[in-house]
Amino acid sequence: MNPAAAAAVQDGTDLASVPLLEAMRVEGKTWENLAPRYGVSNPDPPWKVGLHATCECLAVGDTLPALERRRAEDQLGETIYRGTPAPEQQLLALAHIMLRRGLLSEDALAERMAVVRSRLEAR
Amino acid sequence: MQQPHDHDHGDHGHEHDHGHDHGHDHRAAPMVEEITDFEVLEIAVRELAIEKGLFTAEDHRVFTEWAEQIGPAAGSRLVAKAWVDPAFKARVLSDAVAACAEIGVDWKEPTGSGTPSDYMNLRVLEDTPTLHHVIVCTLCSCYPRPLLGHSPYWYRSPNYRRRLVRWPRQVLTEFGLNLPSNVEIRVEDSNQKCRFMVLPLRPAGTDGWTEQRLAEIVTRDVMIGVALPRADRKSDDVRPVHKARRPVEHAGQPVAAAQ
Amino acid sequence: MENTKATGVPARFNVGDRVRVKELPNLFYTRTQMFVRGVSGTIAERTYEDLIPEDDAWNRDSAQPEQFYIVRFRQKDLWEDYPFEGDTLQSEFPDRWLEPISD
Repeated sequence: MNPAAAAAVQDGTDLASVPLLEAMRVEGKTWENLAPRYGVSNPDPPWKVGLHATCECLAVGDTLPALERRRAEDQLGETIYRGTPAPEQQLLALAHIMLRRGLLSEDALAERMAVVRSRLEAR
Repeated sequence: MQQPHDHDHGDHGHEHDHGHDHGHDHRAAPMVEEITDFEVLEIAVRELAIEKGLFTAEDHRVFTEWAEQIGPAAGSRLVAKAWVDPAFKARVLSDAVAACAEIGVDWKEPTGSGTPSDYMNLRVLEDTPTLHHVIVCTLCSCYPRPLLGHSPYWYRSPNYRRRLVRWPRQVLTEFGLNLPSNVEIRVEDSNQKCRFMVLPLRPAGTDGWTEQRLAEIVTRDVMIGVALPRADRKSDDVRPVHKARRPVEHAGQPVAAAQ
Repeated sequence: MENTKATGVPARFNVGDRVRVKELPNLFYTRTQMFVRGVSGTIAERTYEDLIPEDDAWNRDSAQPEQFYIVRFRQKDLWEDYPFEGDTLQSEFPDRWLEPISD
């Protein structure tokens, strides 16, 4: 067992994959993969700032203290989300942690993703 | 409905302006043309957290602004001076480029790679109690850079550029700004060579303030028009702090302890 | 801040005039958005004289500068199901993209 997995066991971080997030990981439409395809040179996806702001908002509200989140992110990043580039890995880890803590439900998240997508694609 | 941009190129996450501002390259940089599940997931997580009362849309906007901002912009000083000096305000509204020179911002020699002639058309849009302006560049990312610096990431995103013109009130709500229906919302598209900036209403609770103190509450988002200035919120706060509206009960426990 | 150089195509419109955005084919490059084409609005300001982007983009030195205008549209005229009466949108155009409303 690698040290991150061992630490996860110790902390009780649930390393079982979440189907919704696992599908995204496997599909691999990361910024690193997409940007060159469209000739975009910006190193970061545009949503990265929004992700950081969400993490900050959760931290100052004491909903998800930054140290706890980073520790769990590291554990998840070294195990089930290993190999996914940084911003996507952090996003998957945040969603994973929030699901496991009961801050989100997988059904509600999947449903909301469909709503958001239809809004972004609306004509 | 037709798609709000016929432009076959856009600018997704790039710092530069319309191609013509460089004098020769007339095409904006390409953008990622598909909406990925990662982009969707970021928004979905945020919205569900907001609905749960963990933080507000405005809290999120403030953090985003804070993370991208390097101190108050020159535009903040322009707004503050216009608030305290009616004669200056009149000059701002009649010849904004000349008024900028009075506060030390020279549009003829802007920072960055712009050419002088393209930057000589600035309009400052004055809000009133019944009129609220918000700026966008539907083509790519035109922005009053001599006054506000580089544009924020979301300003360049297809999401903002495409949806603001069609659903302005919905988009403003996503920034935490809800305006009553009797306030006219005027979307200003910088699709040619004019650049725009919003002159917001001076908020209550700022009587007797100095120009410098007023400038501190005129944040970047206020001058784009996605937020209103508030007496209690400065652009250079060390770090915005707010408590959760409805804190979760298991806060502070180990990560997997919710079950 | 009117540009008073009378070097180019004569300006046809004044503030307050009602105009319609033409439905022209896209030649090379334009900044006139699809969603305003064929829609009527009001001249809000005469801004400056310049080359139009279609010429500017291809460095046609023989091209004549022309007057640009900011046109104000009612959102309800742009989007048929737009729910708020008073909301507006402003966009900028060179003279040739606009036509007078004759009614």
